[in-house]
Amino acid sequence: MADVAQMPGAWQQLKLIGGLRWHILRNGLRRNNNRWDLIGMIWAGFFSAVLVLSLCFVFYEGTYVFLVKNRPQWIALLFWGLFVWWQVFPIFAAGFGANFEFKKLLRFPLSMRAFYLLGLGYGLADFAALSSIAWIISMLAGAMAARSSVLPALLVVSALFVLLNVTMERLVGSWVEKILAKRRTRELFFGLFILSMVSLNFLSPMMQRYGRSAKPRIFEIIPYLWWTPGSLTGNAVAGAAHGDLRGFLPGLAGLLVWIVITSGFLWSRFRAQYFGEELGESGAPKAAKRRALRGGDSSELPRFISPQVAAVMAKEFRYLTRNGFAFITFLLPPIMVIFFSMQFAGKNSVLREHGLSAEMFFPALMAYLILILLSPAYNSFAFEGKGIHTYFMTPVRFRDVLLGKNLLLAALVVLELSVSVAVMIWRVGWPSPAMFVSTVAAVAFAVVGQLSIANWSSLMFPKKMEIGKVKGQRNSGIAVWTAFGAQIAIGGICAVILLAGKWTGNPWLPAIAFAGLTAAAVGGYTAALGAMDRLAEKKRELLIETLCR
Amino acid sequence: MQEIAIHTEKLTRRFGALTAVDEMDLQVVAGQFFGFLGPNGAGKSTTIKMLTGLLAPTAGRMELLGVDFAVHPVEVKRQIGVVPEGMGLFERLTGVEYLRFVGRMYGLDRGTTERRAQELLEFMQLADREKTLVADYSHGMQKKLALAAAVIHGPRILFLDEPFEGVDALAAGALKALLGRMTERGVTIFLTTHVLEIVERLCSHVAIIHKGKLVAQGSLEELRAGAPGSEGEEGQKTLEQIFLSIVGQSIGERTRFEELTWLT
Repeated sequence: MADVAQMPGAWQQLKLIGGLRWHILRNGLRRNNNRWDLIGMIWAGFFSAVLVLSLCFVFYEGTYVFLVKNRPQWIALLFWGLFVWWQVFPIFAAGFGANFEFKKLLRFPLSMRAFYLLGLGYGLADFAALSSIAWIISMLAGAMAARSSVLPALLVVSALFVLLNVTMERLVGSWVEKILAKRRTRELFFGLFILSMVSLNFLSPMMQRYGRSAKPRIFEIIPYLWWTPGSLTGNAVAGAAHGDLRGFLPGLAGLLVWIVITSGFLWSRFRAQYFGEELGESGAPKAAKRRALRGGDSSELPRFISPQVAAVMAKEFRYLTRNGFAFITFLLPPIMVIFFSMQFAGKNSVLREHGLSAEMFFPALMAYLILILLSPAYNSFAFEGKGIHTYFMTPVRFRDVLLGKNLLLAALVVLELSVSVAVMIWRVGWPSPAMFVSTVAAVAFAVVGQLSIANWSSLMFPKKMEIGKVKGQRNSGIAVWTAFGAQIAIGGICAVILLAGKWTGNPWLPAIAFAGLTAAAVGGYTAALGAMDRLAEKKRELLIETLCR
Repeated sequence: MQEIAIHTEKLTRRFGALTAVDEMDLQVVAGQFFGFLGPNGAGKSTTIKMLTGLLAPTAGRMELLGVDFAVHPVEVKRQIGVVPEGMGLFERLTGVEYLRFVGRMYGLDRGTTERRAQELLEFMQLADREKTLVADYSHGMQKKLALAAAVIHGPRILFLDEPFEGVDALAAGALKALLGRMTERGVTIFLTTHVLEIVERLCSHVAIIHKGKLVAQGSLEELRAGAPGSEGEEGQKTLEQIFLSIVGQSIGERTRFEELTWLT
């Protein structure tokens, strides 16, 4: 028989959870990494505070000016900004990891009401919510300074606006959480997120081309948005400022309707969670339809490649196709060629007559692509996880593992560069034959030269990364600096040699020089592979401990 | 003369000031089903990691099937199969892809790898999850896959770290029968588990490690004869009694629930 005499009240429960969060923070500081993270957070907090305070002034001044100049309807713009910020920022932040799943608290005897309130409470503790509240307070201060008679109405409307936003943000957040809980949807979500971020790059050229004609259309749409929270709030404030109840009350009623609807949906979502909704991957997935095992390993590779190297290549290829981020890394180069050509080169470039010629654009583009494509090689064991054991348990030399990884990467680089060159020729045109051959030879030198250093970096500074996660997914600091240094050194050598062709007046000189350098780099790479074998043995424990953590 | 499958001499592993394995002299004859026991933190996993090449010893030497591990690690690894503590699976491969990968890493030709992978998946009742990623397998299914991968190349020594944990009774029964047949064919099985009943049922020989030191080694009969204390119901000491008497904990010391009066 349980000894629990009575259920703790909602306030007691909130207090307990506050204490729990404090203990989690305090105990987390026992680890050095967490202390550094805290220092980082304090810095980030400082800069965020500066940003929030600066915008406080904007919101204060905006409200003040709109009321003094008797244009209270324009306050809707400020509420619109707040609404978009409050709803959109947490979605982006969610992708970078929630630190604490408050649903875990459900193992304790929480009442549904306390659970709901806690959910809202967490919503109010978000950065978006805190900053928005700070800006709303600034608006209240602006209203008080400009026309204090508006203040009571603005206070009521703002309170409803806050309640609506926090409820809606939690509702959207709970759906985002549901989506992100599944591996496949999470990867899809992040893929779309990255692509949408990349596509933002195209906004500037699009605006320059279509901006003027699109402007009137946008203004035509605005009146149809009267039912949205930002507009309703603005209309209510404008009604109050004009002493017009027929303007104020519909706005207020509209907000209340929004609150009732979103609260109903949120209650329903939280209720599902409260009664044990399972979001994560199922421990025992639904039985797949039994089918005959299909024979044949699809990873047919040339006979001169050893079975071990071929197996590593096949495994790396499968990992690539199942890693949304890595996959996108390989989708990006041709897209970026189009973007750069729109900006810096070709007949439709933003710079037009000042744009780069194909002669300059080609080597610059290749350098950029090598920079992107070779970066993962500096932490090539990042996604192995516990699978790293297999390399040490099986009778395989690490040189074969690294060779398999490098060969696949080199093949992908060749494919990527070929596609990018085709896109570049379509967008910008051909460079001279001498520049084309010299740059291709420079690429060969840069790839082989970097792979030797990257292999060393992968063994010396491994850092675990997880597919489908964004938070904490970064290489070790030293690996980043190693990659940076190697890229600068090799890029510098290539640039000097390419320019030497111009200085000496011999356009084929760089091609000859790069051919020699590539041969030397291949020799160095082959010799280094043996050394990597020994290094891997030395770093065995570090690799296993770091990647299996 | 009996072939020695595992032989260690003063095998030692230190982690800073902590000596996890202390001058261990272990000998396992080929074809034995060998149980390696010890309380939590005794050094079992450290020992198995050293014997399988996942951890370098600080001192001492080890030979597997007469081959010095330090000198010919690749040769030794060809002869052994391992189910390590964390299973060591590549989670982003499907079950069949992982078995193909491991088979090829052991140097099996493509046809043999394919045939064995399919047979093993059928045997482990994983064939209907052919296309499921390892990450989406349940814990028990992952364990079965790790076992399949450990035997795909036909090892002469099999190291198993808690192999039955999370495996359903049906598969566990089939596995035990398979392991029994393997030892009949001369395969050595080195098993660590906390479930003493499994060791008692399957193993012919047992070693007990405590605080990094090997404190007992021999056949079950030898251990029964040498261990102090009372006998079990059938007039024979159980492995649990032997284990507790050797690691210095009596049942009375272990069960202190009488003190938790508010629970009972």
